[in-house]
Amino acid sequence: MEVFYFSIALFLLLNVLLGLVRVLQGPTPADRMLAAQLFGTTGVAMLLLLAQGMGIPALRDVALVFALLGGLTVVAFVRRSWIVPDENGER
Amino acid sequence: MKLGRTRLFASDRTVRSFVRQGLWRAIALALLWWILLEGDRKGWWYGLPVIAAATATSLWLAPEAGQFWHPVGLVRFISFFLWQSLRGGIDVALRAIDPRLPLHPQLIEYRLRVPVGPAQIVLMNTISLLPGTLSVALHPMLLQVHVLDGRMDVQRSLQQVEAVVAELFEIAIEQ
Amino acid sequence: MTIWDWLSTALLLIGAFFFFAGTLGLLRFPDVYNRLHALTKADNVGLGLTVLGLAIQSGSWVIALKLLLIWLLVLVTSATAAHLIANAALYDHVQRWRRS
Repeated sequence: MEVFYFSIALFLLLNVLLGLVRVLQGPTPADRMLAAQLFGTTGVAMLLLLAQGMGIPALRDVALVFALLGGLTVVAFVRRSWIVPDENGER
Repeated sequence: MKLGRTRLFASDRTVRSFVRQGLWRAIALALLWWILLEGDRKGWWYGLPVIAAATATSLWLAPEAGQFWHPVGLVRFISFFLWQSLRGGIDVALRAIDPRLPLHPQLIEYRLRVPVGPAQIVLMNTISLLPGTLSVALHPMLLQVHVLDGRMDVQRSLQQVEAVVAELFEIAIEQ
Repeated sequence: MTIWDWLSTALLLIGAFFFFAGTLGLLRFPDVYNRLHALTKADNVGLGLTVLGLAIQSGSWVIALKLLLIWLLVLVTSATAAHLIANAALYDHVQRWRRS
């Protein structure tokens, strides 16, 4: 089963690498920010697979932190580097 | 004297509900701690003071009893949500692998019936995970939704989602 | 292999397929709004199936609960994040793609 977990994790890693093509291409900042979503879900899945495959429970906590950070990154991005207008649509 | 007694009784009841609130929250936090430590028993030395502190903080910041979700509504919401998000995943996956790329995106407006507040937020987030819909902008009683396929009867499926969320929050909406 | 092993293997494989479909959508879909659909929905289902497959194999209730908790957390954050990105794109006047 361990080998199988590693193979799936490796496949997901290739997926992320493929997804990075979009991040590099953009074209808008929003497209690049999709990387946070990509790592937030695929990254979590990879870590969970590795935690079980390698028998390192702490990796599950790393996955938990990834899940939290993914959301935070997006909030920080939207609030900071991309000024969001207020309710009236003004900047 | 009589007045004093009534007051005492009233505050007695408040104290009791306060303690009950605290107990429920402490149990929930203890469960969370147990899950986070994956059942490790040694962690409780550290965990118990943390749980106590977290319970106290939570009571201090939000002393009122939170709104309890209706159990039947919750079960219906969860089953609806799981089934629909599986459908959403399958739908978008099939569109992504289809060589013809069958997309007919549209930005539509949906008139909300649930009131401003947590119900709208839950509704908005639920919509984003369901088949072909993504909440883009929330105005007081209007939600702008991006749909993958504008030819589907999106309004009707949005009304369905809203009905399930309204049941969860025990809100009556006109049909 | 027991029946549980088979079930878990199947769940992990189908989960991986959803991740792949999500990435494919991310690359192929024509604008950021459509890409968000692909990434958010497909990956959430992929993670859900992965979590289910791992939970079966974990052999412990508390670990299964923790995996479920992580999945729920990802669901909530990714729904919020997808909304925030789409919202920012809309206010930034990112053009929407139309089928011509």
